Amino acid sequence: MEIAVLVKPVPDAETRLRPDAKGLALDPEGVKWVLAGYDESAVEQALLLKEAAPGTTVRAISYGPVARAEEVLRSALALGCDAATSLEAPPEAPTDAVSVARALALALTKHPASLVLCGKQAGDDEGGIVGPAVAELLGLPDLGVATNVRWDGGPGGLTMERSVEGGLEQGRTALPALVALQQAWNDPRTAKLPNILKSRKAPIERIPAAEVAAAMAPSAATAPRRLGFRLPPPRTGAKMIEYKTPEEAAEKLVRILREEAKVFP
Amino acid sequence: MTGVLVLLERHAGAIAAASCEAVGVARSIANGGPVVGLLVGPGGAAGATGLGVDRVLLAESPNLDHPSGAQLAVLLAAAADAASSTTIVVPGTARGRDLVGRVAVRWNASAATNVTEVATSGSGALRVTRPVFGGRATEELELPGPRQVLALKPHAFSPPATSPAPTPVEPLALPEGLAKAPALDVRGFQPTVGGKGPELGDASIVVSGGRGVGTPEKFQVVEDLAEAFGAAVGASRAVTDAGWRPASYQVGQTGKAVSPQLYIAVGISGAIQHIVGMVSSRVIVAINSDPQAPIFRVADYGIAGDLFAIVPALTQAVRAARSH
Repeated sequence: MEIAVLVKPVPDAETRLRPDAKGLALDPEGVKWVLAGYDESAVEQALLLKEAAPGTTVRAISYGPVARAEEVLRSALALGCDAATSLEAPPEAPTDAVSVARALALALTKHPASLVLCGKQAGDDEGGIVGPAVAELLGLPDLGVATNVRWDGGPGGLTMERSVEGGLEQGRTALPALVALQQAWNDPRTAKLPNILKSRKAPIERIPAAEVAAAMAPSAATAPRRLGFRLPPPRTGAKMIEYKTPEEAAEKLVRILREEAKVFP
Repeated sequence: MTGVLVLLERHAGAIAAASCEAVGVARSIANGGPVVGLLVGPGGAAGATGLGVDRVLLAESPNLDHPSGAQLAVLLAAAADAASSTTIVVPGTARGRDLVGRVAVRWNASAATNVTEVATSGSGALRVTRPVFGGRATEELELPGPRQVLALKPHAFSPPATSPAPTPVEPLALPEGLAKAPALDVRGFQPTVGGKGPELGDASIVVSGGRGVGTPEKFQVVEDLAEAFGAAVGASRAVTDAGWRPASYQVGQTGKAVSPQLYIAVGISGAIQHIVGMVSSRVIVAINSDPQAPIFRVADYGIAGDLFAIVPALTQAVRAARSH
């Protein structure tokens, strides 16, 4: 089986967020770009399926400015992916989800996979649009918020659980299909040092910006325009409730919730 | 005139709260145009009256018991065209949100998910605000017309008042593309193992306990407070990792992200892991024995003290307040 994993470079969780000079996006100055947390679960899932079904190959695919995309592709290779494809962002580097989905679909047309895995969303824009858009572009079924993906070896036999409102749904799909993974349910592995060193020299296929731009062009007119990127006003810290007895503390809090915060009927 | 189509998602026969919120938003951006609901699946038009939509399109077929994202996208695009809608609003549920990317491609629409504010902005465009980076920042986007598809962040909007007027229901002619759309093969359903109250991701009040609660038995004090509030029960990672409560209780980066009207953190110190899962709650209350605990920096109101004295007193006070 050929598996493709879509991975996105996102700012490291420790990044101090700050708007850029125009106030339209995150200031990329000094940001460390890493494999998105949800995508780590997708890579882990791909590797688990590969271990269970010998002969399976896993290709990681990423879109973005070359240095960022190739950084996370090397992380994916160090974890155990077999091959990597980098989609070079055009100079204007569109970041809207549907344009990015079109770029990823281009790579998947060159490297058809029977299973496409991705995270259910990325940790930066938290959109969750790219995966289902790729599925629609390629005419694949898609299953979101999935855990426990298993393959019985046949073309009809991919089973999984999906966490939806109210519970866990057990589903089954034929291949090819796209599955978007819930984060962290599978305890993603960490890369071993020799594999990290090896991944530094591994070849990465690069699809040039001109070709990527042509694939993205059809959604230029619908791409959302950024108007602002803001940080919430700093939280000033809790208003501490003074009290002599626990009962007094409780009564004061109930009164505040009711009269001041208005969150209690 | 701009019509708006809303997907009415049903859970166990009742229209999901998230869909009611979507109806309110649809009305606010329709500029007097019609707000039309789409109902899918067997079950007829049950639940459709009183929602505040002008009419309901019903896509009925036994094959649509568990519609796939691909099938729903086909139906949404067809219904929006049939109703001359220029915007589609889907509920901010797991299933709803998964439709946005598909509809954006199929219907050639501008798209945004997790929307917390929306306004019309002339020439058919919409301006939306949405949290990013786990609520640590927000972005504002302009979605160009003529077509948009939105998923709302749960609880970010109030549902409109219900109206007793009967809602006209019309069948939606099943579009040709439906047969070609990949179906979903659902083999079973396991209700969430959670507290007795409402579901974590869905609740307007959440009470969570952390390591400070001490033992699995003493966690009951958190559950009693939640019950008094009619709230969902959550937990920090320390609690679920230790096996005091199942993993489905976990709020945080590796658990569920919640944004209720009121979040009460009991005995939770406030590791960043936990904070990112609850910081976008509207009002946060922290109860902790350590007045220096980082949770007090993100909370709106704090009580420093012995939680085993404070929480039972609060449970009593809440019960008393609710019985009046």
